[in-house]
Amino acid sequence: MKNRITWDFLMTRYPVFFPLVLLVLSVAINLYLQPNMFQLSTLNSNMRVFLPLILLTVGQAIVLIAGGIDISVGGIVSVVNTILATRVGLEGSSELMWQYVLISLLVGALAGAINGFFIAYLRLQPIITTYATSFLYAGFALFILPNPGGGIPSAIASVYRTSTPLSLPLAFYVIAILLLVWAYVSSTRYGKYLFAVGGKAEAAYETAVPVTLVQFSAYVISGFMAALAGIAITMLSGSGNADIGNPMTLNSITAVVIGGNAFSGGIGGVAGPILGAITLSVIQNIISFSHINTWWETLVKATIIVAALAAPGVINLFRRRRA
Amino acid sequence: MPESLSARNIVKRYGGVVALSDGNLDVHTGEVVALIGANGSGKSTMSKVINGVVVLDGGQLLLDNNPVHWSSPQAAKNLGIATVFQELSLIPQMTVAENIWLTREPMTAIGTVNRKVLHEKTEELLSLFRGTYKVDLHPDDPIVSLPSDEKQIIEILKAISFDPWLIILDEATASLDSRQVQRLFELVEDWKEAGKAIIFVSHRMEEIFRIADRYSVLRNGKTVGAGDMKDVSEKELVKLMIEKESVFEYIRKDSKNGENEEKPVCLEVKELQTVTLKGINFSVREGELVGIGGLRGQGQRELLHSLFGDVPYSGTVKLFGNGYKFKHPREAMQIGLALVPGDRGREGLLSIRSILDNLQLPSWPRYGFPLRIKKAKRDAEQVGESLNLKMAGLEEPVSSLSGGNAQKVVLGKWLVRKPKLFLLDDPTKGVDVGTKAEIYSLLTQLCDEGKTILFYSSDDEELIGLCDRVLVLHDGIIRTELSGPSLTKENLISASLGVSNGFHPESRTGGTL
Repeated sequence: MKNRITWDFLMTRYPVFFPLVLLVLSVAINLYLQPNMFQLSTLNSNMRVFLPLILLTVGQAIVLIAGGIDISVGGIVSVVNTILATRVGLEGSSELMWQYVLISLLVGALAGAINGFFIAYLRLQPIITTYATSFLYAGFALFILPNPGGGIPSAIASVYRTSTPLSLPLAFYVIAILLLVWAYVSSTRYGKYLFAVGGKAEAAYETAVPVTLVQFSAYVISGFMAALAGIAITMLSGSGNADIGNPMTLNSITAVVIGGNAFSGGIGGVAGPILGAITLSVIQNIISFSHINTWWETLVKATIIVAALAAPGVINLFRRRRA
Repeated sequence: MPESLSARNIVKRYGGVVALSDGNLDVHTGEVVALIGANGSGKSTMSKVINGVVVLDGGQLLLDNNPVHWSSPQAAKNLGIATVFQELSLIPQMTVAENIWLTREPMTAIGTVNRKVLHEKTEELLSLFRGTYKVDLHPDDPIVSLPSDEKQIIEILKAISFDPWLIILDEATASLDSRQVQRLFELVEDWKEAGKAIIFVSHRMEEIFRIADRYSVLRNGKTVGAGDMKDVSEKELVKLMIEKESVFEYIRKDSKNGENEEKPVCLEVKELQTVTLKGINFSVREGELVGIGGLRGQGQRELLHSLFGDVPYSGTVKLFGNGYKFKHPREAMQIGLALVPGDRGREGLLSIRSILDNLQLPSWPRYGFPLRIKKAKRDAEQVGESLNLKMAGLEEPVSSLSGGNAQKVVLGKWLVRKPKLFLLDDPTKGVDVGTKAEIYSLLTQLCDEGKTILFYSSDDEELIGLCDRVLVLHDGIIRTELSGPSLTKENLISASLGVSNGFHPESRTGGTL
């Protein structure tokens, strides 16, 4: 039994297996519709669009591993975007830009700390709390920038858009760094604590794991990652829009789940969710290339996502039947 | 290292309920003290006072005769007091090694967990129980994939990994099989030699007499007796615990072997196969009480659940003369089957719902629309009375009951339906002697009324004392059937271990030993 490669074995030992299958499938379809997909310029123009969601998904994945959920990430993206677009401006210097990048990261971590304080220290429900704070952050973004506008210097934006060191898209390097950092973090004691708290918080508490602090920190990380996503999307668009983060929240949660992390916490990693985020973005690509009437776009996208989410469950159902 | 710990006149209240009114316990290094008492007598509270999980309301704790006060469980742990709890403190998604060493992982120079050392240290601990695992237990196995006995072993290993001087074993043997208990007791002897102190909380008399040096008996929150084990008999201990001596005599007076042969066959199983079962054949006559024995996890649970339509199987099952193949427990219930599951917290009860809801859960459809609540209450009360259920009221949540009374509710919810065939999965696990005796007499009474019972138990004495016949499962087959004169403890244990001792020539030898 032990040495045979079974479905269960693949699913539990290699949680990245299923998202990888999905990704290969969706890339194949995309390649059919967009044959020049792997040309550097096309690849880069795709990856730079995918990167903000990837960053956001990594933060969301860590919160889910620790047994929570963060619905406010989209709001944080919007806040960061509006801060950069209004404070730096189209004519700003690059020093000013980096200064506000730092401030944005602090703002993101602070927003995460607010979530973490409510959830870890006041013991409120994560889903309710972050739903409430998502309006707080979205409202704050609207307060900063009521109408779309502003922007960042185009020279800085083009660094993000066109950099391809060693003929590889910039996003690949960012993903590599994310995976390396996660490989380190997940093998530290703190990494074990994240899984322990998400797996069974009471048992972790009995074993003297600092449960409250670990929960708090997960939201701070998520806020920080959301700020990074906000910076990336601002550099991509070059302008400000208080609604820019809204649709990203649900995508980040979907990406994590496609990536094989359990909603109940304590299982998974970051590689799967990154693949999930890319898959989700590729699906978006497929839809725009297959010239589906825009009326149908949401419906088609949602159907594909529901099917992708249901697939492991359906496979399990058939396995049970057969048994 | 401290030498002794004493608890003096401990008082602990939970709201208005007094759990301990005068608890006393002394334990010294190099000895095993058995903490004995019926369910609800305050044993668990006593262990929680000693390990700092609850704060006491009165009395004091003395460590080497100096008063101590635990500010948290961690404080007690730091002073070398480790507890093996029944409610598992393991994180299911994490591996064996990660669980044992959580918060105390060996680290590398760059701040990551040193997996190599972690493995070595875990292998070292795992080797303590080597030979008692069903499959080879590996440090990287996730806890969720382990059977409950192995989880309990990991829990024990986790406690020892602190290198404590005082170990509290709170019902730690309840889910272990006899081989594992044997191994644990050998380890306890080693710990005694090494100068550790052990507090042993258990319902199993036989184990207490095997392992304990001294005893301390709790009754209704008071310590009512303490002394050396060698000066006391089993009956005297039981008497201290429950004030009534007679209840422990559960041996069925007249084994009705032969008498049932006239009765029709009620259950006939042919070549039943599932993932763990490899071809089960047996039949049971009406009014028989047939036991299923063997080591834990040999497929007993699966056998009962597949008969109840809960686990898919191949093979034929004939009930009351007709062939059936259930797709859902509903169909099994309709023709008069009842299943009392082994894990009552998870499968047997809705813990936050009331006693009434739990008792009537399988029977609500009988009370029409809208529900005739008054009739349902009357029926539930009747069942409660017939079971001698101690409760504050039908509307109380079932979680307010002690383990023994909760188990009565699990049995009671089927009695309301008056089934013809009972499938019982270890119904007396973690139940005090008083309630056990009541359950035994209930089962005997049901059989006398013509009901049939298929009864799995992890307690060998129970099977021998109660059953007409015992089918011993080993490695997914019925290895041996014991009845009449061959139904002895020696035969049962050797059959469980897969050892042939000549009484049953056709049984194959060679097991997992």
